[in-house]
Amino acid sequence: MMVRRIVATLAALLTIALIAAAPQTIAVTGQLLAYQDGFVFFTTGDGFRAAPGIAIRGINGGPTTLVPAPRVWARAHFDPTGTITELDLSPNALPQEGSFGDVARFAIALSSPVPNPDLQAYAATPAPGTTLTAVQHFSGRPVLVTFIVQVPPNTAFNASVYITTDASGWNPQAIPMDRTDALHYEITRRLNSGTIFRYLYDRGSFQSQESAENGLQRTPRQIVVTDADVRVVRDTVYSWNDTLNGTFNQQPNAAPTPYNPAPFPNLPHGLPTPGVPGRPPA
Amino acid sequence: MRRISLCLTLVLCAFACAAGAARANTTMQLSASHISFYYDQFLVEGDGNVRVTTTDGFTVTGDSFSMDLKLNRFLVAGHVTLQYGSERVTGAAISDFLDFNRIYFVPVTSEPDRWTFLNGDLTHPVKGRVMPGDVFAFPQLPKTPSITASAATIGTKNFIHFFGATGYLAGVGVPLGSYVVNFSSNQYFAQNSLTGANFDATFNVAGNYNSLSAVHVRYDTFNHAYLAFEQHFVGSHDYAILSANPLTRSQRYFNFIGYEKLGSRFQVQTFTQFFIDQGIFFQALPSSETQTTYVNMTEAFPHSYLTLATNFTNYNTLGPGSYTNPAPVCTVPSATPANPHPKPVCVANPAGSLSHPTQAQLTWTSFQNRILKLPLFEQTYFGYGFNHDSVGQQYASPIAVNGLQAFGGQCVFVKSQPAVPCPTTYTTIYNQVVGITAFLPSVKIGGDNPYKDYYFNAVFNKQRQYNSLPHHVDTTTTTLSLSRQFSRPVNSYLSYQVQNTGDYYLQGGYQPCTFIQPNPPQPPIPCPSSLQSFTGVSTLRTLTLGINYDPNPDFNASLVGRHHDDFPIPEPNVFPLPALNVLGQPLYNNYLGQPPNDLTGDVRFHILPHMLIDVQRTYYFNFGNIRWSPAFIVQVLPQ
Repeated sequence: MMVRRIVATLAALLTIALIAAAPQTIAVTGQLLAYQDGFVFFTTGDGFRAAPGIAIRGINGGPTTLVPAPRVWARAHFDPTGTITELDLSPNALPQEGSFGDVARFAIALSSPVPNPDLQAYAATPAPGTTLTAVQHFSGRPVLVTFIVQVPPNTAFNASVYITTDASGWNPQAIPMDRTDALHYEITRRLNSGTIFRYLYDRGSFQSQESAENGLQRTPRQIVVTDADVRVVRDTVYSWNDTLNGTFNQQPNAAPTPYNPAPFPNLPHGLPTPGVPGRPPA
Repeated sequence: MRRISLCLTLVLCAFACAAGAARANTTMQLSASHISFYYDQFLVEGDGNVRVTTTDGFTVTGDSFSMDLKLNRFLVAGHVTLQYGSERVTGAAISDFLDFNRIYFVPVTSEPDRWTFLNGDLTHPVKGRVMPGDVFAFPQLPKTPSITASAATIGTKNFIHFFGATGYLAGVGVPLGSYVVNFSSNQYFAQNSLTGANFDATFNVAGNYNSLSAVHVRYDTFNHAYLAFEQHFVGSHDYAILSANPLTRSQRYFNFIGYEKLGSRFQVQTFTQFFIDQGIFFQALPSSETQTTYVNMTEAFPHSYLTLATNFTNYNTLGPGSYTNPAPVCTVPSATPANPHPKPVCVANPAGSLSHPTQAQLTWTSFQNRILKLPLFEQTYFGYGFNHDSVGQQYASPIAVNGLQAFGGQCVFVKSQPAVPCPTTYTTIYNQVVGITAFLPSVKIGGDNPYKDYYFNAVFNKQRQYNSLPHHVDTTTTTLSLSRQFSRPVNSYLSYQVQNTGDYYLQGGYQPCTFIQPNPPQPPIPCPSSLQSFTGVSTLRTLTLGINYDPNPDFNASLVGRHHDDFPIPEPNVFPLPALNVLGQPLYNNYLGQPPNDLTGDVRFHILPHMLIDVQRTYYFNFGNIRWSPAFIVQVLPQ
């Protein structure tokens, strides 16, 4: 009985030792950047040596018509020496398997790594006494941005107000707004964080675009959408390009003005036009 | 006419030359077996035999190309060759961060390496320098591209010009040939010299950093389907825009818009419209031509600005005898003892209006100034100007000219003799204007609950205009409003506005209500709605209730109800509704004779991520048998 136990224990240890001694493979998934000159490159920029007889298969292990090329996704099998022995290809994005951190030691580069001062802002541990510059991070997630604008007091009460933006090729009617009271319009839009949003307000055409406080055409407003659940942007429009104080309203049917010759063009027959001593045609 | 053409040409050249002097950016020539553009993300992707040549002086070839036009960086991957001058290196991938002047390269000599080219120096790579983690990443792409092409020219941060392009709408390919997508941050590219349209599909057929040529396929309720053309010349401080619209209709408008900013405080802008009726194929002699030109100049001061606004119009640039106006001209000769009851004399209209109204107005305007520390602001303005020969387009000379400039004038006509123009008493009228606007932007009423608070605001404007006639006009506008946000998607406002216009003559002026036309004798006409008693004062009172429902950024609905209590009282068929623009909307918002009640509904919703539909209609409560506005106003708005 005792002998049996000893033999069984030895067999188990031997099995473990054999397994441990067997060559290990590491599988990592990623998107290919290139496959050339005996190397496989991933979009991390890392290049790995490909085995001379590298197996190219489909993602399920079967044959495939895909060839390793940029944009193609692949599961790479590394042998213990860091050589890729097998590539399983897929045209679609693959779930993450393994980590490139595990195979970073196999990446081949002739030159030794040199720190990049451009990336110092991301250094893990700043030197004592170092003044760090704030770094703005953007996740790209949608943010509800509400624009509230105060319009000039001489804006016609039922005027339509829009936002025009470079994101829509400066279409003057890109984003219609809703009037919320006598002086304010409002609209909410979903913008991804990190968006640099250049915009101006107008009344439906470039001619009716807002002008600066000093009466000149203004440069576009700009906001950077930061990570937040909601954001409110409040602006003031001082004047519109096409409405100047003191100029005349010459529209037909308007209340009479000196230069409106016919405030009442459809008067009944025989009724004199106000302000004209002569008589209209019969 | 020649002078006008010459002036226009000179102005156009000046603007175009100034616009063309803008700074150049990096330009890339891209060719590949297959190029795709994704409008939602401003991504350009290329695969197969990629070749990129840049004005920075190098050429890259490879298997695949990817560029984010907004981030202004591109990547070429797979069997890459980088050639600059006589040097040539090969590698696996290259990525150019144009904004940062950094080129990241993975060369493959005997083995792979990592090189970084700094500040455009391709001869001295920094080897082994750590690269940003996403420098060689491909973006995740939508399934369907917006445009495919075989070649493209990319003007970084400004435009991309596709060649052999096909556009896709709902998955259906439309051959575009040459097509430009302009994404410049220069807003002058948006300058639009075209009138509105119910539908406008724009095909930018050519363009670069400073110009854009577009063919528009348009539809509106007046012209129906037609083509238009628009040309932009754009600089950093100036622009010149020309258009022909509609191009495929007999009656065309040629527009020119120009703008120039000189220094930091002065600008000049001009707009000229030339109308011609000459047949669809320009095959006929023009039957009608008109021209109008606006030139506005603004000088900014530290706390105010000065504006000179001018306008010059020719109602008939063809001259006498060429204007096609079938309406006869009828006048009533003065009574004489021999002919106490003369009958109207009608003659064919020979010339149309030969008037050339000219106006100029110099106006000083203050900034909006806060009064003490109150939530109250004021803005004042005054101006001086003149108006010459402004008799109105709808009147074909020679007839009795309505309006102030003919005030007191008498027409003399002889039966069977050619009509002669009425003598105009005042060919030029000078004016002085002074006005003040005071307003209360927003006063909160209530506590700190944003869904229970009310906001009150008010606007008051008073203006007086003195004329050399002598005569003055007072206008007073008062607006009060109360608004509340009921919940996140629902808000509402109630507003009351009074617009009062008083037109005061020192002598003469409007006829009293007791006026009875003596010649020829007719029964007294009753005073319909007090119209005959009009003394030069009109008052428009408007009560407005507006409700907005805005549940999410993809859907908006609003309902606006208005009640007008006006004097003179609106009388059906006395005051006509204003003309409609090409969209079917009234040209003017507030006018004499407007229906007492109206209700306007407006719904907007996205049909595509970058396309909005706006549907609007107004109900007039059966005023003068008018129930609804003539048609639904439907607009497709690209975003």
